[in-house]
Amino acid sequence: MPEVRIKTLPPPHGGKLVERVVRDPQMAMKLMQKCSAVYDIKPTLFKGNPVRNVYREIMSVCYGFFSPVEGSMTKADLESVLERRRLTSGWVFPYPILFDISEEDFKKLGVGAGDWLLLRLKGEPFAILEIEEVYEIVPGDVAIRTFGTPDKNPEVVKVPFDQKHTGYNIYCSLNPIILAGKYTIINEPKLREPFNRFWYPPKRSREEFTKRGWTTVIAHQTRNVPHTGHEALMKNAAYIGDIKPCDGIVVNAIVGAKRIGDFPDEAIVEGHEMVHLAGYIKPERHLVTFTLWDMRYGNPIESLIHAVIRQNMGISFHMFGRDHAALGEYYDIFATQTLWSKGIPSFGFEEPPYMVDGGFYIRPQNIEEFWFCPKCKEFAYSANCSHKGIYSRYSGSFIRGLINEGVMPPPEIYRPEVYKVVVKWWQKFGYPFNNEKYLKEREERLEVDLPHMELPAHLKK
Amino acid sequence: MAKFFGVVIDEKRLAAIKGTPLEEKVEPIFGGALKRLVVEVPDDLGQKVIDQFTKARFDARGFIEETPASFKRLVFKKIAEMKSLGPEVIEAAVAEIPSIKDDIAKEDKELPIPDVDISDVLELQKNPVQKPA
Repeated sequence: MPEVRIKTLPPPHGGKLVERVVRDPQMAMKLMQKCSAVYDIKPTLFKGNPVRNVYREIMSVCYGFFSPVEGSMTKADLESVLERRRLTSGWVFPYPILFDISEEDFKKLGVGAGDWLLLRLKGEPFAILEIEEVYEIVPGDVAIRTFGTPDKNPEVVKVPFDQKHTGYNIYCSLNPIILAGKYTIINEPKLREPFNRFWYPPKRSREEFTKRGWTTVIAHQTRNVPHTGHEALMKNAAYIGDIKPCDGIVVNAIVGAKRIGDFPDEAIVEGHEMVHLAGYIKPERHLVTFTLWDMRYGNPIESLIHAVIRQNMGISFHMFGRDHAALGEYYDIFATQTLWSKGIPSFGFEEPPYMVDGGFYIRPQNIEEFWFCPKCKEFAYSANCSHKGIYSRYSGSFIRGLINEGVMPPPEIYRPEVYKVVVKWWQKFGYPFNNEKYLKEREERLEVDLPHMELPAHLKK
Repeated sequence: MAKFFGVVIDEKRLAAIKGTPLEEKVEPIFGGALKRLVVEVPDDLGQKVIDQFTKARFDARGFIEETPASFKRLVFKKIAEMKSLGPEVIEAAVAEIPSIKDDIAKEDKELPIPDVDISDVLELQKNPVQKPA
């Protein structure tokens, strides 16, 4: 008889958890001595607005969220990822992870392959890039190949990507010079409030699951303050497991630059936390976490980075809904579910990502939709409820529209405590959503502070 | 496929259409927790609305969402004036967007903070279950 119980957490993607964080100041100083230049990290701008900060990728690499990736990709890895969504080692990886700089900065730095570059953030030493290779990219070409086209990926791409798509703009806005090589954090950042209590990098999340006795854990991807439909999704999707429902439900918010009009990340993480503080899911079963990543809104492609992150965190199942991590109508609304049920050959998946070589242990839980049905008297699953014309479908955009008009969402849509978290941050920032002012201030503030660290004398010039 | 524009109907708006045929078209949503009127528009007109505002988009239900609140007020005004739920009300509202440009710009910067007592959630947050490492 096959064993049906799940007794262990899944292994890290690639077999070994990456952790490239130096916590010994003397070792940090030794490593800095080897650096030949200093570079101040700058945000990636699109039309003057920050859309990405590479520091978030460095954090996610060095704390193991992106294992087995250890740094900025070489040309060979970049080509491999764009061509077949695999690293040259064969492990599935969906997105280019690149350290880009302008030609002007490259000339000023005077570095090349074999040199070490000290990266500074908020004026303090932060990380080291061991430059292995320097090469050029055509950003627009990388953008198109990252997300696909209707011609090359007809299974799921409906219309060509354009400047209304935030993720596409991120890649189009990259600088043309890539410095490839491993990152090492040498000055560990301190997470700011409220993010610090939700910081569970893979090593810590695995320790936490073990401490709680969890072996079956399901991930909920979020970039939103949770409405009651999200809550129903979390609770019901968690009925998967082995001989009983999942031990744990892990919310993993994607924190980073977002589009104007989304909720601020502070309200998102605290909104989810309120689900357990107010008792709608027991806190013993619910953990709110986040990953630093400037969301690319790549629907099926994004679902693969979610699988990488969450499997590395020790999570066994992942819920995927319609329009997963999507923006606009570029992809078919069920593109992610297509990928995770039968594969998308044009993206390199003849079979689902958990069946291919170099694929995942994490298993999908493809969910259609929950809606509010007054006749069923519940948050009904779309495959069950047939009360057309009676049920009401959820829409994050609709709810943001209500808030924009000054209408308090009724408890059928938002738990009152969750709405009050939105109001708390509205009071703090003077606005309930990301606007230009918030995004600019946020980019200066970031999610971290760095302790002061002296530079070695040769880098002070 | 047709697109839709929804206008939430509160008591003030309901009073404005009381006794007209529009009143019967008001539909309850979320079990009656909210009421709305829906205007059905052809695709090209829906796209025309989207093109007017940077944040606006079609959501998964086919509704035009994330338009400014001042535009929604203008659409309701046109619905009440023209006593119609036809696409002409959206055409008329789009034609009058220049008259609300200042309101739209202001909305991008500030929205009045609701007068809601949040002391209960602040109390709950004093004892978070999750603590920094």
